Amino acid sequence: MRLYWITWTILLAFTAVMLWADSATLPRTVFVVFMIAAMLTKASIIGGAFMHLRTERVELALTVVVGLLVTGTILFVLIAPDAARIHRMVSTYGPK
Amino acid sequence: MAQTTQLTLDRWNGGTCPFGAGWRKLMMWWFIVTDGLLFAGFLVSYGYARILAIRWPDQAQVFSLKYIAVMTFVLISSSATMASAVDTARQGSRKTALRFVLLTLAGGAIFLGMQAYEWTHLIAEGARLNVNPWGDAAFTAYFFLLTGFHGTHVLTGLIVLTATAVRLAQGITTADGVEIAGLYWHFVDLVWVFIFTLFYLL
Repeated sequence: MRLYWITWTILLAFTAVMLWADSATLPRTVFVVFMIAAMLTKASIIGGAFMHLRTERVELALTVVVGLLVTGTILFVLIAPDAARIHRMVSTYGPK
Repeated sequence: MAQTTQLTLDRWNGGTCPFGAGWRKLMMWWFIVTDGLLFAGFLVSYGYARILAIRWPDQAQVFSLKYIAVMTFVLISSSATMASAVDTARQGSRKTALRFVLLTLAGGAIFLGMQAYEWTHLIAEGARLNVNPWGDAAFTAYFFLLTGFHGTHVLTGLIVLTATAVRLAQGITTADGVEIAGLYWHFVDLVWVFIFTLFYLL
């Protein structure tokens, strides 16, 4: 049980640092990269420690993590830009 | 051929249980993956709406980030109590597990209450699904969509945890049942990590 409360402390520390970064005046790119890295680290900690993916069989962990990451990336890189392009086309050439 | 078959069997080493997890736990994992993809779709479309927006409001002026931080603290704490519930249930300590499940329930109820207050506050200021007093209308649309969908998950989690608590008190639920309910609750916490960062902070 001790592990879970150590994990809890780490998650809270990450949250506090993220809130600090939000109030600090960091360059936008540094801020965005830092926030996304911190977010993914927090998600990995929750998945690994609380959801026990760390101790599950590697096939299960890979199916879950890779499945979500690959599909999420496809959504962001391939599908959404097309949706944005259609949105721009409609607002430019569509009925006024 | 026989060697390949043996290798495959060794690799999976599960027979009817290739992932080394019972069917109930596996089904919860598949549910989490599909539900995660649904949230991924929402967050990706939010990302593009954000990129396309001409004037996105400054979140610090719309929300109280301290308030959102407290909500985050409550949800992370409830995840820790849930993990402790699973651990104590595994050790066979049913009463302690029940106490932890009840603590998790309390955390979830506080989170949901705080979210309801936040919604009420913003609606009172004129925010609607299609009306945003602070700029781009997509801002409030995504706010209500993301937090509303997440809040529905929290509510569902509370129902699942209540059923788990009752069954645990009656001695019906096994440690596996507590773990499966816990998986769902941690997923709700996991999704909040993304919403908190991408919607409130970035």
